[in-house]
Amino acid sequence: MVKKLGVYICSGCGIGDSLDTEKLAKVATRESKIPLCKVHPFLCGAEGAGIIRKDLADGAVNTVVIAACSPRVKTDVFVTGQEACPTLLERVNIREHVAWSHTAKDEDTGMLAADYLRMGIAKARKCEPLEPVSETISKKLLVVGGGITGVTAALAAAEAGYEAVLVEKQPQLGGFVATLKKRFPAAAPYAEPTADGFPEQVQAATYHSKIQVFTSARILKTAGQPGMFDVTIETPAATTEVRVGAIVMATGWKPYDASKLPHLGYGVSPDVITNVDFERMASAGNIARPSDGKPAASVLFVQCAGSRDKDHLPYCSSVCCLATLKHATYIREQNPEALVYIVYKDMRTPGLHERFYRAAQDHPLNFLTKGEVTSVGSAPDGKLAVTVGQTLIGESIELRVDLVVLATGMVPVSADGILNLTYRQGPDLPVLKHGFPDSHFVCFPYETRRTGIYAAGAVRAPMDSVRAGEDGLGAAMKAIQSVELAARGQAVHPRAGDTSFPSFFMQRCTQCKRCTEECPFGALDEDEKGTPKPNPYRCRRCGICLGACPERIVSFKNYSVDMVASMIKAIEVPEEDEEKPRVLVFMCENDAYPALDVAGFQRLRYDPGVRVIPLRCLGSLNIVWIADALSRGIDGVMLIGCKFGDDYQCHFIRGSELADRRMENVKETLQRLQLESERLELTQLAINEYGKLPELINGFMERIRKMGPNPYKGL
Amino acid sequence: MNAQLIQPDVSFIREVRAAGGSDLKKCFQCATCSVVCDLSPDDAPFPRKQMIAAQWGLKDQLLCDPAIWLCHNCGSCTTQCPRGARPGDVMAALRQLAIRNFAFPGFMGRLVANPKALPVLFLVPALVLLAIILWVPKGPATPELEFANLFPVVAVEALFFTVSTLAAIAFLVGVIRYLKALRMCCPGILLNFPPVSAEIVTHERFAQCNTNQGVRWGHFLVLWGFLGLASVGTTIGIGTMAGILRTPLPWGSALKILANVCAAGVLTGAVILIRERTVNQARRAASTYFDWLFLGTLTAVVFTGILLQFFRLAQVAYLMYPVYFVHLVLTLALLLYAPYSKFAHLAYRTVAMASTEPWKPKRKPRRLSEQGAKHCVDFYS
Repeated sequence: MVKKLGVYICSGCGIGDSLDTEKLAKVATRESKIPLCKVHPFLCGAEGAGIIRKDLADGAVNTVVIAACSPRVKTDVFVTGQEACPTLLERVNIREHVAWSHTAKDEDTGMLAADYLRMGIAKARKCEPLEPVSETISKKLLVVGGGITGVTAALAAAEAGYEAVLVEKQPQLGGFVATLKKRFPAAAPYAEPTADGFPEQVQAATYHSKIQVFTSARILKTAGQPGMFDVTIETPAATTEVRVGAIVMATGWKPYDASKLPHLGYGVSPDVITNVDFERMASAGNIARPSDGKPAASVLFVQCAGSRDKDHLPYCSSVCCLATLKHATYIREQNPEALVYIVYKDMRTPGLHERFYRAAQDHPLNFLTKGEVTSVGSAPDGKLAVTVGQTLIGESIELRVDLVVLATGMVPVSADGILNLTYRQGPDLPVLKHGFPDSHFVCFPYETRRTGIYAAGAVRAPMDSVRAGEDGLGAAMKAIQSVELAARGQAVHPRAGDTSFPSFFMQRCTQCKRCTEECPFGALDEDEKGTPKPNPYRCRRCGICLGACPERIVSFKNYSVDMVASMIKAIEVPEEDEEKPRVLVFMCENDAYPALDVAGFQRLRYDPGVRVIPLRCLGSLNIVWIADALSRGIDGVMLIGCKFGDDYQCHFIRGSELADRRMENVKETLQRLQLESERLELTQLAINEYGKLPELINGFMERIRKMGPNPYKGL
Repeated sequence: MNAQLIQPDVSFIREVRAAGGSDLKKCFQCATCSVVCDLSPDDAPFPRKQMIAAQWGLKDQLLCDPAIWLCHNCGSCTTQCPRGARPGDVMAALRQLAIRNFAFPGFMGRLVANPKALPVLFLVPALVLLAIILWVPKGPATPELEFANLFPVVAVEALFFTVSTLAAIAFLVGVIRYLKALRMCCPGILLNFPPVSAEIVTHERFAQCNTNQGVRWGHFLVLWGFLGLASVGTTIGIGTMAGILRTPLPWGSALKILANVCAAGVLTGAVILIRERTVNQARRAASTYFDWLFLGTLTAVVFTGILLQFFRLAQVAYLMYPVYFVHLVLTLALLLYAPYSKFAHLAYRTVAMASTEPWKPKRKPRRLSEQGAKHCVDFYS
């Protein structure tokens, strides 16, 4: 394609007051020899957009560079792939990052805008039109687990018109909820347990024309990628292979193993049972001491039995307190005069279930105290003697009871060879340290590190049955999005709609396996030699492979090593005697870049010596860019990305962490070149920390000035 | 430390709920009550701990706890409680149960606390007085209408001395029982009365409850007015029995003036207290039968007493004698039931306050056992 660039500069929103736009236009026309460059006072208005559209229609232009506001705004007007700009669009941010955050009519401000325009033009010259992949996509969903989450997910998908395959390991659907005597209060006034399970939904799912149910089943193998997963399901009757587009993982939970809790008396006496045992006993109809079958006239519940305990489950399962309150009502039904003791660390009854807590607490024969159970033994009268320390009543108290119930927590059923993925990175979903699938609970629940596979219900996070049902619904929606986007060749969250794909120049691949190891989503499989085998539908377009590759063979049509390198080359580096240091800032475009936009909205000022290049993810940073920048005489390089570690905020899970790891190597290289390693700095920034950015940038510039100019300047 | 065996007293929980602490179980131990309370001492704060002890039915621990008497029921805790557990009401209920528990004889405690027994409470003194009218021989009628024409002075005075003595004995036994309980909970506890007397004179603790200013002066007037009336009554009683004085006293006599000043004081104080209990929403909700029985009887005694004087002055027989009868019934009831009604707080609160006043003994207290002292510290902190 013969590139015909057109540059459009907007002078609205105060840009014209801050910059000499005519002079800026000369950067395009004189320096870059672009014949078509127009300045308009209101480019996003009907007239401005109309001018661009007309130029495109006339064939005068096929690649558009817009120097105006941030690419994060006015995306409804300036759109690639739409009528206004059918081919290529590059946006240069001279509003938030220049006009709004630097001194008006200042020489440095002008230089900043000119550099950004040069960089934008450089990138636009290298961009190629995108060609979305298109293959036959299955829109059928696989739901793993026939509990309340899975049944709700399958029904939701079916009702929305998508076929679903429901796989359950038990002989019947229903899961744990179907075995319950009662459920937690589900409607106002939230004071009484709900009587029913969810038999209607189970029936509806069993007989739905769009749902295929496999019971007593297990998954032998899951191969392929979103839109074309091939799943082998084994039942006692047959082994079936189905093709599905996306997967909802609703495998639920199992109770924490109480045999690890001998200090709470489990195993010491048959009269010490778990809350799951108790539920079963109550469902069967008689609450009695297992040892002698006598009715339990006094029952003590130990909350957080093995929960919020660093030696067992360090987290709160959020349901055990409610389960205990519900169990107290079971006891009451059988014997109104029974004594119920509840020893808790904290009573946690999320949301409106606080009302259930109040109702249970108000009963005169329910006794609650904060405390730590220190021992459970036998009392002379055949009862259990429970000592509780640090109570609200006294330092140490002893209670004599008939039955002790340990309120144990939820353990996710996640990594037990369920999906048996044929991925290079392993058969299971990657999990966090407590076994929950790795996803971000605030920013992107349901997403796992395997594209097209969504975790829902108690496997994702401990939750009650109502929330699990909602979760099933949410995950079904995500799965539907996933197959629909796949059908259009588009990426899912967080680059939803992106049609670019990485391509690999295999002739130069050295089989170092860095890309296949580092891809957070397991998108790349390998052949026997270690050559990567891309699965484009698994890809989330973060570019981490591009950053990882030492041979620089990975590139997107609109994002490549070469493109960023040309942007770096486009920066005019002043001579040493001008005393105008230049600092290149690689910014994560998910959080840090918008934060800098907000700094612009707030008219915060920072040093105009910085040149910002947004990256899809800091993990897509190829270290060659740093060498490029420093060898061109740029005085320092900042990397600003998302927070990493246990509470990571990286949208691609490990991008910023990988970038940080690569920095260690780069710093060694710098030392060999006799450059101060302090010329390179990586900072973690959250999106709300825009207020810190000016200080961060100015501080770095200050240190660079003290260090003196880059000795490679002008070489 | 050995674990303390806890066995909830279920009937006690139900009693507390019936006696005005019906919201007691709502407490979730946030301790807002102890924080907002102006009287709660830093080293042994209340009423948070009393709330859970009551929820758990720890009767023995609570009844001997001086903290329940340190509360002056300003209601701050009840107003501020985020759960609506009304700790102030629970404390009042605990005081009522303490009075009932230490009552001698025990059935009297239960009788006075029972609203259904109200007619009996007043019927008994009425019948006794009726018997006196009917069967005790009277002296010759005086030309002017006088109360002695209805009741012979000697008989009335003898009756009041008997009743006062009975009440005093009941009080004594009750206080001894309370002290025993105190010593059980906190062996070696010592009583320090002088600071308490100062407190009674000034009502300083009431002043510390900044939401309680009206109650402070109401209570001050009622208490001192009542003590004045009680001493005038005793003096007149002894005087008439000894033949030194003769009723009715002349209008200008010092005793008469003192009596009227005190009566006016009690009436003013009582009106303030009644107003507090009716106008103030929180306090109205907190007022129980037990509160009203005492406050009502006391007010009625003074009110009928003042009324009597006017009727005697006006020499209206058909008003003067019935009101006198009612006045005597009420006064008898007040005295007779003093050890079992809210009146009894006079004794228990004084002792409780004396037991918590800091005391710096020169030598080691005699009966202080180490374990007991430790328990006490644990309990109060």
